[in-house]
Amino acid sequence: MLKKINLKNKTALVTGAGKGLGKACAIALAEAGAKVILLSRTKSDLVKVNKIIKKTNGSSQLYVCDVTNLEDIKKVLRKINRLDILVNNAGNNRPQHFTKVSQENMEYLTNLNMKAAFHVAQLCSRKMVKTKNRKKIGGSIIHMSSQLGRVGCEGRNVYNMNKFGVEGLSRGMAFELAPYNIRVNTVCPTFVETPMVKKFFKNKKFKNKMLKNIPLGRVAKESDVATAVAFLAADSSEMITGTSLLVDGGWTAQ
Amino acid sequence: MGMFLKNINLKGKTALITGATKGLGRGAAVAIAEAGGNIIAIGRNQFELNTLKKEIKKFKVNYISFNCDVNNYNQMKSFISRLKKLDILVNNAGTNIPESFLNVKKSSLETLLSVNTKAVFNVAQLCANQIIKLKRKSGSIINISSIFGLVAGKKRTVYSMTKFGVEGLTKGMALDLAKYNIRVNSVCPNIVLTPRTKKYFADKKYNKYVKENTPINKVVTVSDVATSITFLASEAASMITGSSIVIDGGWTAK
Repeated sequence: MLKKINLKNKTALVTGAGKGLGKACAIALAEAGAKVILLSRTKSDLVKVNKIIKKTNGSSQLYVCDVTNLEDIKKVLRKINRLDILVNNAGNNRPQHFTKVSQENMEYLTNLNMKAAFHVAQLCSRKMVKTKNRKKIGGSIIHMSSQLGRVGCEGRNVYNMNKFGVEGLSRGMAFELAPYNIRVNTVCPTFVETPMVKKFFKNKKFKNKMLKNIPLGRVAKESDVATAVAFLAADSSEMITGTSLLVDGGWTAQ
Repeated sequence: MGMFLKNINLKGKTALITGATKGLGRGAAVAIAEAGGNIIAIGRNQFELNTLKKEIKKFKVNYISFNCDVNNYNQMKSFISRLKKLDILVNNAGTNIPESFLNVKKSSLETLLSVNTKAVFNVAQLCANQIIKLKRKSGSIINISSIFGLVAGKKRTVYSMTKFGVEGLTKGMALDLAKYNIRVNSVCPNIVLTPRTKKYFADKKYNKYVKENTPINKVVTVSDVATSITFLASEAASMITGSSIVIDGGWTAK
């Protein structure tokens, strides 16, 4: 009756796999038995993650790749044989008050969080649909969204725009890829103790204010998000598509 | 347990399941037992409560049952308030009487509001109070909702009213119970093939309607829903509260 989170014989590609949530997802997927393709711009980070996975007898391969560079992604996809799972994770945030957002930051965030997310998803989907028995074995794409893909927040207007966009993209993709039995979902975490968030939380006033918005009174752990991603990647969720798993301690329920 | 992947493990936990003799409730009881949880089954059919016992005992967990109608507040109260262990509630008992809006009978409205709304509220309140009284470190309540808690369906006005209500109740409960570390979520399945829905699926037109509205070309199974329930019940979902897992093959993504 209970479907296990089991990814044996599956190949998963994770972008932004060098740090934070991407790293946690990559390791969790390997723990569930998947062969993991690690992508990041920073080789030294990838080497570390690769080592951790190998130490626990997992299987992984690393490629230095800038996801905003279409040719970089294409090159990687030419090198791998097959793909069953994509964790479309690479992203960033540069909080600024709406009236102060610089052109440069808006361009940078939108190119990374939306344009690159779209391209990676499209190129990987093309690869995934080519597998002959795809309809039988299924596939899964997980976009790393955010609670800020569901609700607004101060100083997060560009990030809000980007992540709401990812929520829309995810639902649209779910329809178009359903005939291939490829499921598409997002994970929407609250603040997670990642290197990116640690930087924001140096501002104690901001940290306390944000914690007050999480009914469970704590930030999420990387493992909370990585487990949700693994659940969506596996056949344990084989009828879940076009939706989001909110890992937000109740933030958006208010 | 891995470094980043949390297991769906309910060893040492005790779950109360209403409507446990058939369909989703029975599936949830079996899946929770499979994950190591002890079972308290509430149902109205003594024969089925006995057959469930045999099924549950295979997993070497404790099983007790109580033959009771969830509408009977006093009986439910005296039973729940005497429980020595309780961590999880699967608030499942529910029913449906499909009628077009103009022809909904007063008696149908009364029945659905009693079972799907009032009894759901009362059982949740009794169990939450008991979990708090027992000073458990954490708790998880899963309300069984439906895609019709998110969108409308033909001849589903009353059902939608009650299930939209359950979605609201879930979010409200999540906020009030967060300080006790009791998480509250719902699952929203598409139409699952169960003893109750068997008669709907016997109608060819209905079959076609479900198929056409489900982008992933499969019917949701009891096991699909039971797996999500067990995931939410476990610490693998320890930052998920006030939210819903939508198990609908993409029905509500449009």
